[in-house]
Amino acid sequence: MVGSRLMIRPVAAMMVMVMTLCTLWTAPAAAAIVGTDELLTEQSSELKKQELLTMLEQDDVKQTLLDMGVTEQQVRDRIDSLTPTELASFQAQLAEAPAGEGVVGIIVLFLLVFIVTDMLCATDIFPFVNCIR
Amino acid sequence: MAVSVRVPPVTWLLLAVVLISGCASQPPWPADVPSSGRPVLVSDVPFYPQEQYQCGPASLAMMLNSQGIGTQPQALVDRVYLPDRQGTLQIEMVATARQAGLLVYRLAPALSAVLKELQAGHPVLVFQNLRFNWWPQWHYAVMIGFDARQQELILHSGTRAHYRQPVAAFMTTWDRAERWAVTMLPPDELPATATPLPFLSSAHDLEATGQLEAAARAYRTAYERWPDQPAARLGAGNVAYAQQHWQEATEHYRTLTQDFPQLAAGWNNLGEALTQLDCPVAATAARQCATHLQPQRFPPPPAINTGTPNPHCPVIRCPEPSR
Repeated sequence: MVGSRLMIRPVAAMMVMVMTLCTLWTAPAAAAIVGTDELLTEQSSELKKQELLTMLEQDDVKQTLLDMGVTEQQVRDRIDSLTPTELASFQAQLAEAPAGEGVVGIIVLFLLVFIVTDMLCATDIFPFVNCIR
Repeated sequence: MAVSVRVPPVTWLLLAVVLISGCASQPPWPADVPSSGRPVLVSDVPFYPQEQYQCGPASLAMMLNSQGIGTQPQALVDRVYLPDRQGTLQIEMVATARQAGLLVYRLAPALSAVLKELQAGHPVLVFQNLRFNWWPQWHYAVMIGFDARQQELILHSGTRAHYRQPVAAFMTTWDRAERWAVTMLPPDELPATATPLPFLSSAHDLEATGQLEAAARAYRTAYERWPDQPAARLGAGNVAYAQQHWQEATEHYRTLTQDFPQLAAGWNNLGEALTQLDCPVAATAARQCATHLQPQRFPPPPAINTGTPNPHCPVIRCPEPSR
């Protein structure tokens, strides 16, 4: 306990430095043109959203959602509000799922995300999940 | 009285072996690559036998030489070989090829993608783990062909040229290395299995590492092949902008705003290029278009005193907002 207390100051100081450096790092060096990577990031998350939304069209997905008591619209809204990083991790997990389990996999994944976001009070989908704030 | 039956440990071992081998199934040869027909072999891939542990430099030298970049494994050792780890990181292989002006494209993790590249005459650099996950032996090799009838892959691997590896053995070792496979091609040559966004990402890697000429060629390849991809045209404009070729950049951005009038980024960049071209009126007009389309992202440009516009400057008209 005492040891971990002692560490707080140096760690905090280091974090401040890292954060400051990160801020400096991301400051655009050139004029304010939009970089190619920015557009690519936007487009790939748009593409991933489309792929996820297309999956919702499948009947078995619709049925599973219905069984879980989640409306399709809730899922749509959730997909729209995903950040590019969240989308990328979704896609990665989907890609890892063995063929045929993709659909079930995504449902479970959605469940997990919803439960976590429910706990963080970002969403309120499952009545049995209590918000921790 | 309970009778305990002791099972000798070796029985469990045998059982485990049977169960494990029951799970391992022969990976099928990809259906879209016919398993008949003559062997496919990429010509012009010189072979360099590896020195101890140095499969990385040797494989990279083969990849570079196959694209006409003359180099020897020994010259690459300093660039990519880590004596402490007795090996080479993938990221350094990629970076070195990029510094030679080649576009490195990570293939989809499927054997069919690799075979299609070979059919198109592109050698493929593959990463394998020749041993086990818990005791790895990482290995780079260059795949130069395949024999579909024998279900064998043909590799320049280690000290063996034209080594024929059965597909099952390759798949096992490739699986353990997360199916890493790349092509390294001149930027005007599209990988046979390239899809727009990954290719454009690779092109952007060239741009970001200062290989501007190569990046420009890659973006041109992309917008000729996929005219529906705004990032290709934007990238071409951004490269010209970075090279301070303002006229060329302006032309790319103008094409971009004509083809994708709802893309605010295009209008914004057009404004920047026009400023550099000394066209303040047109530049402000272009920036205003960006503001109309995406007010939160692009704040309104400061008002300028409208002098007499330069005759060589274009006249900018904003598109109608789509929503």
